Amino acid sequence: MNGPILVTGAGGVGKTTVSAALGVAAAQAGYETLVLTVDPARRLATALGLDALHNVPTANEKLPTLWAAMLDSEASWDQIARSHAPPEAADRLVNSEFFHAITRHFPASQSYAAAEAMAQHLDERRWDVVIVDTPPASGGIEFFTAPNELTNLVGGRLFRWLTGGAIPGRRELFNVAARPALRIVDIALGSDLLERVGAFLFDLRTTYDGLRKRSQDIEKYFRRSTTIVVTTSDPAPVAEAARFFKELPQVARPPAAIVFNRTLPASWEEAEIPSDATRALARNLALWAREAHRQETVRDEFAARYRTSIVSIPWKPTAPTDLTSLADLIKDTGLVADLVGS
Amino acid sequence: MQQQLLIVTGKGGVGKSAVAAALAIEAARRGRKVLAIGMVEKRGLAAHLGVETLTYEIGEVRPGIFAMGIERPAALDEYLRIVLRVPKLSRIGPVARAFDALASAAPGIRETVTMGKVLFETRTNNWDLVVADAPPSGAIGSHIRAPKTVSELVGAGKVREQTKWMSDLMADRTRTGLVMVTLAEELPTIETAETLDWIANEELISVAEVITNRILEPLGAKVPVDVSSPMGAAAALHDGIFHEQQKWLAELPGRGRALPYLFGVTGPVEVAERLADVLEPR
Repeated sequence: MNGPILVTGAGGVGKTTVSAALGVAAAQAGYETLVLTVDPARRLATALGLDALHNVPTANEKLPTLWAAMLDSEASWDQIARSHAPPEAADRLVNSEFFHAITRHFPASQSYAAAEAMAQHLDERRWDVVIVDTPPASGGIEFFTAPNELTNLVGGRLFRWLTGGAIPGRRELFNVAARPALRIVDIALGSDLLERVGAFLFDLRTTYDGLRKRSQDIEKYFRRSTTIVVTTSDPAPVAEAARFFKELPQVARPPAAIVFNRTLPASWEEAEIPSDATRALARNLALWAREAHRQETVRDEFAARYRTSIVSIPWKPTAPTDLTSLADLIKDTGLVADLVGS
Repeated sequence: MQQQLLIVTGKGGVGKSAVAAALAIEAARRGRKVLAIGMVEKRGLAAHLGVETLTYEIGEVRPGIFAMGIERPAALDEYLRIVLRVPKLSRIGPVARAFDALASAAPGIRETVTMGKVLFETRTNNWDLVVADAPPSGAIGSHIRAPKTVSELVGAGKVREQTKWMSDLMADRTRTGLVMVTLAEELPTIETAETLDWIANEELISVAEVITNRILEPLGAKVPVDVSSPMGAAAALHDGIFHEQQKWLAELPGRGRALPYLFGVTGPVEVAERLADVLEPR
């Protein structure tokens, strides 16, 4: 079986649409395909056959080889607690306000939940192709580093230091007076909070061994993964894409391709403005010619700096909302053959 | 916008850092002394202001514009000293680690330290305008709500005592306003509407303006019949995007100014300056 296809890139560039398009194309080519997505637009979700928030893979009625599932971060976290902590600690964890704070606010939290969901589906070995639309990250390769970071947080010095020892499961009261640093925290936040967080951290630390083992599984999948980076030609997402190209080789294979979404044809640069054009029309057409030129410059600079294959997806006024228009989006790019074709 | 503190947010990818920089530039052009703060992610704001990075140390990055980025250990040190009146620590390390461990688990505490710096700078009255490039709208709620969350969570302690002035300053619509940046597309429109609903229900901060970004002017002609020629295709694309945008704009409640799509603009500084031109009051 192939490793997963991971679709990364800055927010708002069309990662979800590109993931869905890849999924449709792979499914139409006869592969049993799963698209794991984060936050699709309503009409795109409908096109994929996702009518409700569903973290269970659902087959598409019109294209039965296409399966889709949506990431439900909260449900994933409850499941993570249940599979790694002893039953009683797990009960306390999922009901803890602190657990929800960590799972919601740990910067890489959604990334970890997505990586865990990805690993679960890959474990099942039901699909020929698994495509992961990675969650919006706080930047760079967070999706790839999240498992390790979480394991380090839970098992690391930070929490161990606060819980007073490495052995979880036993409740100790903080000896606040013995630790000058905690005395200041105590003044700032009060002893009650310190104790409650301490008790919670004891429970959380019971997940450590399970999390660590799981992180290793996930990292094995990462090493076999194929990553594509999606961007538009705007400066901010292009800078973000460049970071992926720089940082990804530290944790996985370098990106297989960069996909420039919302691309204008290079032929627009030289096109002549019709002589009968109104002034407003002529002005707008000149702007589009200029934009086409700018875009081509951006792509050329990227190609010169990073030796990678560049895929261009044309700019359409409306987002695709059915299987046909999704498949059409990447039909001429050869992307599917490159990624899943043997 | 007459407020002294503008907190700029929006869905990822809508250009909120560019708009935050543009608001700062526009105010500085009118002779106002401005502080621009990168609250969590600092790279975007730095690029649009034309500097490599933003550090905790406030520096003048352009005439009239001072800027900084919030770094948590430094913010925490200052917070403990100034707000909680803890004497300057020779070693912030252990306290910061203890605080960090707690703040990882206890909701609202990190955000209170971050928002605390922004609100504190506003309260000093050193600045005519403070522009905060805030976390994206998906994460803004926890920051806006931070003082309230902390006062609910923490029964005692000095942090709790400090939450009242923060809440009051944030809720004062004459001094503080939230700027929502959005695009005339499906997901940003939905997320903006949801955020505006949340803001209206919580009554913790007022919305200063909903700014839509990358808006096209009408094509100014009928789309030529021959859309297979490059210019016909360009006209058809323009017209198609224009109508799609108008459809989403109609669904957006209480929207304010529209900023244009910037054709052919290459650099982040040029983006911010061009947007500042448009933001100028006529």
